[in-house]
Amino acid sequence: MRTLITALILTAAASGAQDIKFPASFDKLAEKAEDVVDVNLDANMLGLASQFLSEQKTEERQAKGIVQGLKGIYVRSFEFSQEGQYTQADLDEIRAQLRPPEWVSIVNVRSKKEGEKAQIYIKKEGDKVAGLTILAAEPKNLTIVHIVGTINPSDLAKFSGSFGIPNIQMGPAEKEEEKK
Amino acid sequence: MSQPAVAEAVAGGVRCLDFEEIMRRNQAMVYSIAYHFVYDRALAEELAQDVFLQLYRSLDKLDSAEHAAHWLRRVTGHRCIDFVRKRRVEKPVDLDAAPEPAAEPRESDPLLRDRLRRLVASLPEKKRLLIILRYQEEMEPEEIARTLRMPARTVRTQLHRTLALLRDKAGRFLGEGTP
Amino acid sequence: MNRLDDELREALRREEPPEGFAERVLARAAAEPDRQGWWAWLSALFRMPRVRWVAVTAALFLAVLSGLEYQRQQRLLAEGERAKEQVLLALRITANELQQVHHKVQGLNLSR
Repeated sequence: MRTLITALILTAAASGAQDIKFPASFDKLAEKAEDVVDVNLDANMLGLASQFLSEQKTEERQAKGIVQGLKGIYVRSFEFSQEGQYTQADLDEIRAQLRPPEWVSIVNVRSKKEGEKAQIYIKKEGDKVAGLTILAAEPKNLTIVHIVGTINPSDLAKFSGSFGIPNIQMGPAEKEEEKK
Repeated sequence: MSQPAVAEAVAGGVRCLDFEEIMRRNQAMVYSIAYHFVYDRALAEELAQDVFLQLYRSLDKLDSAEHAAHWLRRVTGHRCIDFVRKRRVEKPVDLDAAPEPAAEPRESDPLLRDRLRRLVASLPEKKRLLIILRYQEEMEPEEIARTLRMPARTVRTQLHRTLALLRDKAGRFLGEGTP
Repeated sequence: MNRLDDELREALRREEPPEGFAERVLARAAAEPDRQGWWAWLSALFRMPRVRWVAVTAALFLAVLSGLEYQRQQRLLAEGERAKEQVLLALRITANELQQVHHKVQGLNLSR
């Protein structure tokens, strides 16, 4: 079966901004996936992109404001045609890098019935939020977003407030809930 | 820098086709055809620039602004097809071999536009161009046939078949059932 | 008219090219040589006194340099546009995932 793979890859000019390393197993996941999004933007590339984001277009203006304080944006998103193409071990390797005291889990939602799990971690440096990582796992979809840099809670609200979706509240860590 | 302009005397009167004016009037059309074809803005600009350079060299063969627009659509389409075939930027996907759609669509997907564009950009070249001319330029099959110098019946059949395949592939994230 | 038609029209809507596109095209058009003048130019070249050969060589050298500079700028433009698209895509994915989590959390809160 032919696979439809869209790989958008920009090699980072200099490493260092990325706080977590994606497992080597992700290369194999990319081969199995029907659709792949692979984004690696370090500070240099974000700076370059910022010059091309237009002040005249709403979405680009908002993006320009958001990326101002950022040092890196890294995304891996896989869409599979069948279930069971990735394992918990693939995710455990990332979770192992998101431990206290540096990283704090602020959202942890799981649905056994639908086989979905989502976690949001933030990295705190003093009073500032210095990183955000989202792990979203569904039976046929796996997405990891890793953002490095200064993000204020208001910036996070802009993330979810921009592009037409409601703001989420940056409250204290939520307990793990099960939806049965 | 002086503005390139070509004035051509035609028997019975003088027609003046101003390159810059024609270029500015049609730049969105040409760029968008190229962009939706290759789904890469930098490549799209490269292609669009080449098309307008070709227009500049061929301006004396065109006799009206409307003729120029028609010429631009055709040349842009052919250039895009040639470009993709030569560079093999993307592997065309045989949608007949596409896997069955997954069970449930994700609700309110803000990436829908990106997904549709990528889907269109993955079509075989000729079919891709038909869809772009139909939905970007809102051309009727007969107009498309005249532009591409194809039989109208062939254009209708290919459009119908390509849309059915797109509906099948896109159905899962449009929330539509397979007809 | 079904949803696919609407979404295709929306997805394939015309867009303006990047800023400065028209100027770049005009610059390239202005640099186009006059085809009819090639032979006349070539034959005149061989009749030039030596000192003018130097001037012509210098002019050619500058033309090559500006061509290289043009290519460098085109590469930078291409890279910048790609980086911009990547940023927008990454932020859309992030926003989408946050929305999904938000819906799940809201759903849990309502079911308590």
